Amino acid sequence: MRIAIDTGGTFTDCVCLAAGQLRVLKLFSTPVDPSLAVMDALQQLGAGKGLNVRHGTTVGTNTMLERTGARVAFVTTAGFEDTIAIGRQTRARLYDWFAPVPVCLAPRELRFGVPERVSAEGEILSSPTDEELAALVDAVRASGAESVAISLLFSFANPETEQRVEAALRDLGIPVCASHRILPEFREYERASTTVVNAYLAPRMQSYLLNLEESIAEQYIGGRMEVMQSSGGIVPARLAVREPVRTVLSGPAGGVVGACQMARWAGFDRIIGFDMGGTSTDVFLADASAGGAERTRESVIAGVPIGVPMLDIHTAGAGGGSIARFDAGGMLRVGPESAGAEPGPICFGRGEKPTVTDANFLLGRLDSESFLGGNVHLDRERTEQMMGEQKGSLESAEEFAAGILRVVETQMEKAIRVISVERGHDPRDFTLVAFGGSGPLHACALARALRIPRVLVPDMPGALSAVGILLANVVRDYSRTVMLPGDAIESLAQDFGETKTFAELERQGEEEFAAEGLRGVPQRTLDVRYRHQGYELNVDFDPQVPGKSIEVFHALHLQRYGFCDAERPVEIVNLRLRMTAAGDHFAPRRSDLVPGDGRAAFYGERGVFFDGRFRPTRFYRREKLVPGDRIPGPAMITEYTAATLLPPGSSAQVDGFGNLVIAVDEEVRA
Amino acid sequence: MILHASGPVEVTIFQCAVHSIAEEMGAALRRTALSPNIKERRDYSCAVFDGSGKVIAMGDHMPVHLGSMPMSVAAAIAAIELAPGDIAILNDPYAGGTHLPDITMVLPVFLPGGSAPAFYVSNRAHHADVGGRFAGSMGPAEEIFQEGIRIPPVRIVRGGKLDREMLDLILLNVRTPREREGDLQAQIGACRVGEQRILQLAEKYGARRLQALIDELLDYSERLVRAELRTMPAGEFSAEDWLDGDGVTGIPRKIAVRLHLDPEAGAMHVDFAGSSPQVAGSVNAVRAITLSACFYVLRCLLAEDAPATEGILRPLTLETPEGSIVDARPPAAVAGGNVETSQRIVDVLLRALAQAIPDRIPAASSGTMSNLTIGGVDPRTGEPFTYYETTAGGMGARSGIDGISGVQTHMTNSLNTPIEALEYAYPFRVRRYGYRYGSGGDGEFRGGDGLIREIELLTNARMTLLTERRKFRPWGLQGGKDGEPGAAWVTKAGTTVHTELPGKCSRQISASDILRIETPGGGGWGKS
Repeated sequence: MRIAIDTGGTFTDCVCLAAGQLRVLKLFSTPVDPSLAVMDALQQLGAGKGLNVRHGTTVGTNTMLERTGARVAFVTTAGFEDTIAIGRQTRARLYDWFAPVPVCLAPRELRFGVPERVSAEGEILSSPTDEELAALVDAVRASGAESVAISLLFSFANPETEQRVEAALRDLGIPVCASHRILPEFREYERASTTVVNAYLAPRMQSYLLNLEESIAEQYIGGRMEVMQSSGGIVPARLAVREPVRTVLSGPAGGVVGACQMARWAGFDRIIGFDMGGTSTDVFLADASAGGAERTRESVIAGVPIGVPMLDIHTAGAGGGSIARFDAGGMLRVGPESAGAEPGPICFGRGEKPTVTDANFLLGRLDSESFLGGNVHLDRERTEQMMGEQKGSLESAEEFAAGILRVVETQMEKAIRVISVERGHDPRDFTLVAFGGSGPLHACALARALRIPRVLVPDMPGALSAVGILLANVVRDYSRTVMLPGDAIESLAQDFGETKTFAELERQGEEEFAAEGLRGVPQRTLDVRYRHQGYELNVDFDPQVPGKSIEVFHALHLQRYGFCDAERPVEIVNLRLRMTAAGDHFAPRRSDLVPGDGRAAFYGERGVFFDGRFRPTRFYRREKLVPGDRIPGPAMITEYTAATLLPPGSSAQVDGFGNLVIAVDEEVRA
Repeated sequence: MILHASGPVEVTIFQCAVHSIAEEMGAALRRTALSPNIKERRDYSCAVFDGSGKVIAMGDHMPVHLGSMPMSVAAAIAAIELAPGDIAILNDPYAGGTHLPDITMVLPVFLPGGSAPAFYVSNRAHHADVGGRFAGSMGPAEEIFQEGIRIPPVRIVRGGKLDREMLDLILLNVRTPREREGDLQAQIGACRVGEQRILQLAEKYGARRLQALIDELLDYSERLVRAELRTMPAGEFSAEDWLDGDGVTGIPRKIAVRLHLDPEAGAMHVDFAGSSPQVAGSVNAVRAITLSACFYVLRCLLAEDAPATEGILRPLTLETPEGSIVDARPPAAVAGGNVETSQRIVDVLLRALAQAIPDRIPAASSGTMSNLTIGGVDPRTGEPFTYYETTAGGMGARSGIDGISGVQTHMTNSLNTPIEALEYAYPFRVRRYGYRYGSGGDGEFRGGDGLIREIELLTNARMTLLTERRKFRPWGLQGGKDGEPGAAWVTKAGTTVHTELPGKCSRQISASDILRIETPGGGGWGKS
């Protein structure tokens, strides 16, 4: 039995495939020990022997955002201790005289130098004596560091000294991360930064994932755990704990995979994903005809560069649980502080600070009867009173609530602009796929602001990340830097048993997959550039026609950069092999559409606040809607995990898979 | 604010779209260039102009380039009747350029059926050598003829075809022709990327709508600046600051400004009367640089996402004395005007503004780009090399926040060359790169610290320094202390003999000598 579990800040979502149907369970997260909710969920879903748990976790993301990682010691070549703080010596905002002072994950007292040097050619010019290494170990021990990141100059060219330092520091019994293993590439700052993030996350991620795996193995015979990586592929937990930097965006990556899959079934290739959860919102752009969701090797998470490949996800620091307040200048602000699961919003009965969720509740946009199956009591009196007390100079609690929603929606809009408009994509060409607990509630307002003509609320929008994790492929990437001239390309296809060919990488990949009883399919690519350039283009490699890669490179260079030169010498920098084992096959059934008005799902009319006043709004239960039903706004479609709000002027149709496809009109201006 | 039928949303989307074109040109340039100064340090800028040469979008690149690029486009338009498929090239500071290492290309974009360019796209990149007396072309020259090859606006591409003869003429005059050829090719490619994206945009909007959007965008920028200026106190605010010297003599040179703020009209008048006449050394700035510094300061007074367009300059009137250090005339040498004097012009503008709006103006930042150029022959390959790098210093403290340490400020934002890229490309070994602790000025809020960088040469080579803030330190504000001045030293191979180097000099350095640069700290803010 395979169960996917996505732990978010507020909810833990679980999905399993049983008898050809997806089964969903939603629990409150247990932030102090997220594994409590996971174990609880497994029990409730009736997990048994041979359990395979697939996990998406926000432990990494939150550790970065909240800056609650380990005390990291940074060890580098003597004379370069500060390079981790200096970075690339640029300012992030060109025209801002009041930019905050960046805080380095490895503070000054935790930076250590080793007397050593490797040349650009990989020659060891000097190396530390055993006494010097012992002194380093003592100094790191005395510093109270909880983990260590080692990144020596040119260790990617010759890792020998770095390995000696690594071996010496292992005696400390704390996680030790070496840059030549994490990211064996040139550019010392980006390599070091990636390694430091790894060390920063290591203690927390390791204890969390290993304890959880142990609990699973104890409780369920033969039980094992896999983890979603930021790149969108699944790896076994024991591999994930070695490189936690690769799971920083674990949960959000599940959402990307799930949204792309659902949208594709529904017939939409170009999507903007909008995943609004309790503490933050993730947005991304994917075009299935152009290779799906975009990946990047130049991510910046919480201000820190990370060089391992990740899905290109943009995070905005506001979600349903975000707290609203008035700043010193009297401006209304929402987030980044969140009420989380504890104490939660005011309406849940414990929180005392107004949140986005409270604003929605007050304006009739949260239905206490249907919210989480009616199992959570929402306290209207308490909310009205506390919102009223904190409304500042605004006239009414309702006005305060409407203001909170306007501010938070503007923040979401800005986030979507960054990944669409600012990258040259016109939102009008895309479908907005809304999910997460709060996504469908805000989707139509956002679509209007951005002139996105269509919103897709997939079946089970509150558990889409979990669905993505459940259906994701097992993926592992292998790479090797070869630095070969372009005319050596024929040799890459041959099997010399040499390190500079694909054959060896493939053997490694096949063996690792076989060890887990999987059959991997190889995909081979090359990173190619003109000699002396600083960046490469990635092109497919076919062993049957090796030379074709170079032709494709020239053509791609012309298309991408405006010129190419077939006479110019070409360099093959890296071989890349991606091994993929397909996830569970699942094809949802498409039902015939029967035109209807959803009257069987109708359960009442309530007042919902639109454009300054409460308007009578029809409420429907989503699970009772059937394919072909068409519902005009204003309406609310409620379900266990979320609620979809249809403003006046929009209308939703249930498609053959149970998705809501909403046509959004352009905003009518007064 | 007036809401037009096209609406603020439409204008915002258009603004983002043209801005992303400029950014995309920059990415193409960086990803295809050969020299570390362009591919690693990103010492380049890209911008988009309308058919009349007004800038409508600038990438978030180098402020000193950006504000002065409109003059390049204007010079190209004036000198050549550009036809479809042409690309103009230029670097002459007296015909649209700023200093010779910055080579600019301008491509006219013709819409289908159009007979005149509807847009121009342009990019400027700093080349690590353009010939002249000093390797790296950034030395203490005494007239522009010693600073390298001068290129007036000419065509480098005609009707889509590279003008090989023109390219050969340029390449014959530089020390590292192969690298230059690759970088120039990358600039041509980046122009074409910009052209393609503009054509796609035009297809979507149609020519007439585009013009309406451009007009609205420029008006919007202007409205933002005027609204900002309306919040300022009326009056005249004067300030002066000094350059240590021009590299030929040690005589300090003055830059003086008188700022007239007119909140009623939402306007600002800037007059540099009283600034030093142009000098024999290379710290002369052409007027384009002075305008660039004004543009930068105005842009910084606005909210973070305000568009950087020609509209920003509309509320500004600028007067510069002809033949002065802020408006140089031929044949003055200008290499340092772009990189050093430009920073001092910003400093003096801030000093004046600090009297008007004290809480919003930071103390002086390092005020020098600490330019280092080294040229010679790489013993590993037998090929000539030229290296150029600027080292960041401390940022001035702000009201409420310390200054940032070791960060590029004001007119530059180039990255450092990764040590692992630098040693691969050049016969050097970096010995140290770290903060210069304690160099920031004390105060209620501390100035950022400068940096220390030590480079060992692995071959005999020619080294040139072009730095400032040795005598006149980065000043503190509101009682904050000044930052430490900059310094540079050479340690002879195998000895402990340190020789201090003047701020501006060119020396022969031997293999195994170690060069040490210490950059200035920023000024403090408020009494501690």
